[in-house]
Amino acid sequence: MARTLSSPGSGVKERDKKLLLAATRRSFTIIVYALLIALAFSMIFPYLWMLANSFKSRTDFFTNPYSVIPMPPTLSTYYDALTIGRMGVYLGNSILYAAAVLVVQLFIDSLAAYSFARVEFPGRETLFLAVLATLMLPGSVTLIPTFLIAHGLGLTNTFTGVVLPGFAGAFGIFLLRQFFLNIPRELEDAARIDGSGFFGTYWRIMLPLAKPAMVTLGVFIFLNEWSSFVWPLIILSDWKKYPVTVGIALFRDVNQINWPAVFAGSTIVSFPIVILFIIAQEYIIGGISLSGLKG
Amino acid sequence: MTTLAQPSQPLQSRASRQRELWRRLKKTWPGYLFISPAGLLITVFSYVAIIFSLYISFHQYDIISEARPFEGLENYARALNDKLVRISFRNTFVYVAVIVPSITVISLLLAVLGNQVRRGRALFRTIFFIPTITPIVVTSMLWVWLYEPTGGINRLLQMINIEGPNWLFDPSTALPAIMIMTIWGAVGYYMIIFLAGLAEIPEVFYEAAKVDGAGRWHTFWKITIPLLRNSLIFAFVTLTIAAFQVFTQAFIMTQGGPMNSTQTVQMVVYHYAFQRFQMGYASAISWLLFGVIFFFSALQLKLFMSRELY
Repeated sequence: MARTLSSPGSGVKERDKKLLLAATRRSFTIIVYALLIALAFSMIFPYLWMLANSFKSRTDFFTNPYSVIPMPPTLSTYYDALTIGRMGVYLGNSILYAAAVLVVQLFIDSLAAYSFARVEFPGRETLFLAVLATLMLPGSVTLIPTFLIAHGLGLTNTFTGVVLPGFAGAFGIFLLRQFFLNIPRELEDAARIDGSGFFGTYWRIMLPLAKPAMVTLGVFIFLNEWSSFVWPLIILSDWKKYPVTVGIALFRDVNQINWPAVFAGSTIVSFPIVILFIIAQEYIIGGISLSGLKG
Repeated sequence: MTTLAQPSQPLQSRASRQRELWRRLKKTWPGYLFISPAGLLITVFSYVAIIFSLYISFHQYDIISEARPFEGLENYARALNDKLVRISFRNTFVYVAVIVPSITVISLLLAVLGNQVRRGRALFRTIFFIPTITPIVVTSMLWVWLYEPTGGINRLLQMINIEGPNWLFDPSTALPAIMIMTIWGAVGYYMIIFLAGLAEIPEVFYEAAKVDGAGRWHTFWKITIPLLRNSLIFAFVTLTIAAFQVFTQAFIMTQGGPMNSTQTVQMVVYHYAFQRFQMGYASAISWLLFGVIFFFSALQLKLFMSRELY
């Protein structure tokens, strides 16, 4: 339309152009939203089905596996998963493994990180580099020898065997050292003058100050250990010691998959993670962002 | 004590040298003590482990028999001629070549697009993140169910009149099925990495581009991509290293089948090491994988570092 008008209509032309621009911008926004919403649905629905199916009775599941509302809701699948599926045992083991690794690794990592950040000793930089270098090692290469070492120490099929290799982490030491380096030295000097030794300063002054970094690292350690699958699968041979991840995989092992039990089990495993995510979302996202920026 | 500062002093007695050593040790021993638990664990489970792994890769080594003869490069030669190993390397290469660029591009787009919408930004971020924090065992199981012949995926395809395949039981679709699931599960994580990178780009660059009349597309290529360089390198390299070691998805969803179409190198390492107890041979295969990973990481870093992007 604007094209047919000659020179005096340039104002109209300008307005048309603006309208067109606004229209493309708006349609762009709509396309972006449509795309994001479609993807969001694809990410939510598998979990919604998991949750819904875990509350369905067997007949309800086999007739309407893709309905989102169980009719009528029942807890029988959970009962089956916990008893016949041994989910109760697996859950207890997972909690034990995750708690042990969480507490011990936080302590060992922070102790080493404090030392690398603040205590001066010959060879410190070299040793720190040696720690960092292990981050480059692919787990694929260390898996077999780690198993053989654990076997040599008599740790196969034991609680200690599952958790011991996770008691120290190069990433944790790196993360906490960065944090300790940024804490002003005056705070420590004051404590030193008050007569605190090395350990006292670390325990009473540095650890409380490093709380945000400790929480971030703690969340990652927990998530890692809770999801860990390959190592417990290899080191354990007795089902009484299996964590939930291995337990769920066992449901798959048989030819006939007990789907309702899988859904109940998966919901049970995911539940602590969802809670943790709700509480500590900022820490998780902050931690991941940090690792990306540093890299 | 006053002569201690001059180490070349010949008259310095042995006793005072010892005293000096003792004095320094007294100041520094907490340092060694504090790193010793972590140091011991890392030494055993990383350094001793890797040397041990290399050692047994040259031997015939299983847990049961006591005889562990040296074999030189025998294991490596055998691996290169092993059909299963070859298939697994081919599958793994295909897997890496597809998922690494896919995840990088999709998560980058998600981050850039997600940054442009005003409402629901935090909500999208949270939702995309859910698959990332769920244990991979759980997501794998869920997708086994979704990939059933009459499962969720095929029902969705039916809506647009496509007859879906029997995903996990057809050799031509099993590996793509695993790749789709992995991409779906990983984009949320790398989106966070890119969002953090985007937040670091100063707003002035975009304002300047706007003043210059640069379009959306132009701004994306000339400003966003070059300034996201660090995040891109990080994503690409870490993704490649992780993708080469893919195991759990294949182990749970297909167990390497059908017809070895989803055998990955790590699956084969597991098979020889923990099902046939040929630890030496399996270690040799894992070293071949390490070599490949090392080569590609070094190559990527070299390419990224040498190219001047801005």
